[in-house]
Amino acid sequence: MSDTGGNSFEPKIVAFLCRWCSYAGADLAGVSRLIYPPNVIPMRVNCSGRVDAGMVTEVLAKGADGVLIGGCHPGDCHYVNGNYKTRRRVQLLKAALEQAGVNPERVHLEWISASEGGKFQKTVEGFTTKLKELGPSPVGCDD
Amino acid sequence: MTKLKLGIYWAASCGGCDVSLLEVDEQILDLAAAADIVLWPCAADVKYDDLREYPDGWIDLVLFNGAIRTQENLELAQLLRKKARNLVAYGSCAHTGGVIGLANLSSREEIFSTLFKDHDPIPTEVSQVDGCSLELPQFLNRLTPLDAVVSVDYYIPGCPPPREIISAVLEAVISGKLPEKGTVFASEKNLCDECPRERTEQPITKIYRPHEIEADPEICLLDQGLICLGPATRGGCGAACPNANMPCTGCAGPTAGVTDQGAAMLNTIASLIGVGEEGEAVLQDEDAILQEIEDVIGTFYRFSLASSALGSVCRE
Repeated sequence: MSDTGGNSFEPKIVAFLCRWCSYAGADLAGVSRLIYPPNVIPMRVNCSGRVDAGMVTEVLAKGADGVLIGGCHPGDCHYVNGNYKTRRRVQLLKAALEQAGVNPERVHLEWISASEGGKFQKTVEGFTTKLKELGPSPVGCDD
Repeated sequence: MTKLKLGIYWAASCGGCDVSLLEVDEQILDLAAAADIVLWPCAADVKYDDLREYPDGWIDLVLFNGAIRTQENLELAQLLRKKARNLVAYGSCAHTGGVIGLANLSSREEIFSTLFKDHDPIPTEVSQVDGCSLELPQFLNRLTPLDAVVSVDYYIPGCPPPREIISAVLEAVISGKLPEKGTVFASEKNLCDECPRERTEQPITKIYRPHEIEADPEICLLDQGLICLGPATRGGCGAACPNANMPCTGCAGPTAGVTDQGAAMLNTIASLIGVGEEGEAVLQDEDAILQEIEDVIGTFYRFSLASSALGSVCRE
C-alpha cells in the first residue's frame, strides 16, 4: 500500500451531496469556474440524512480512499432534521472506522449551502490534500 | 429408495453447532432413517484421505459450521465444495464470520503475541521434535466466512441455529424439497417483527449495558436504552433473547438485501438518540450519549465483522 504513496498518489473521493444545499453549492463552484481537484466524484442524494453508514462502507470497500458528505447547515435542512441524523451517524461511523484500523478522517462531513461554492472548493482541496497524506485506503485487503 | 448421504463438518468453530443438531430430539431418528452420515468429525471417525476418495458431488448435503481461519479450514472447504451437491453454511461463523470474526481487528502477529505471550517458542508451521518434523496448518492473515472462499448453496444463521430452523431444514432434506439456491433458512424480516415487546417510540437519552439495569420485560429494549440489534438482524429465532429479557446481539446476520449489518444498526441508533428538540443547543448532549458506547465494533458488528468492509482492513 505504500508503493503508490507520496506525490504521485491521486485519491479517489466519493462525495454524497444533498440536492438542496451542497450539490447546488458544488454546481455554483462549477458555474463560477472555481478550480478544485478532479479527484471527487459527486453523487446527488436528496438529503444528507439519506446517506446511510452502509453506503459509506460500501464505497470504501469498492476502492474509494475517502468519502465526503455534504449537507445543509444546522437548522437549514429541507427535511427539518436529516442533517442532525447524519451528524450522529457519521460520529458513530468514525468511531467504528477508528476501531477497525481506518483513519476516521477518511470520512468528512461538511455543511455547504447553495451559496457556498467557495466553501465547496476549499473543502475538496483540503480533503484531497489530507487523503494524499493518508495514502491509499486500507479497506479491502485481499490476503 | 437409496439413502441420502449427509456430511457435517466443523472448521473454526466452538463445537456448539455440532451439538445444536441434537436439539431436534427424536427428529434426529427420522434423519438417521433417511440419510447415512458419511462425514462428521465431531462424532464419527472419517479420515480426510477417505473423503478425497469420494466421487465429486457424491455427498448430497454438507452442513459446514465454523469460519475459515486456517489453511486446513480453507482446503476442507474447497474439498467439500467439490464432494457436496449442496453446501450449507451452518451457524453464524460459516454464515457471517461469527463472534470470532472480531479477531480481524488484530493482525496475526498481534493474536499470536497475545495468545502465546509467555510461551517459548511460539508454535510455527513446521517444528522439529525429537528428530521428527511436525506440521501445523497455516494460520491465515484474516478470518472469513465460508462464502468468501467457495460458493455456498444455503445458509442457516444463528449462534447456534435455533431448533425450529434446524427442524425445518431437516424436514426439507428428508422430503427432498430443498428451496431455491441461496436461500437463508430464516425470516425475510427483522427480529422486531416477531418480538412481542411494546414499542413506546421513546428517544434514547442514555445508553445502558445489560448488566447496568433490570429491563422492563414488556417494553422495547431500545426504548429502555439497551442496544438491541433486533432492527438490523434477521428474524427466525422467535426473538429468543428479547424473550429472555436480554437484547439481541445480532447472531442471525443482516436482513434480506442488506450487506453491512453493523452499519445498519449504527444508523438505527444514531436516529434514535435524542435529547429534547434537535438543534445546535443539544449537539453536545447527543455527543455525550454516543460516547457512552464503549466498544462500537463489538456492539454493532459482534457477529458480522468478518463479512463486512471493516473486517477486511489491511494490517501491518
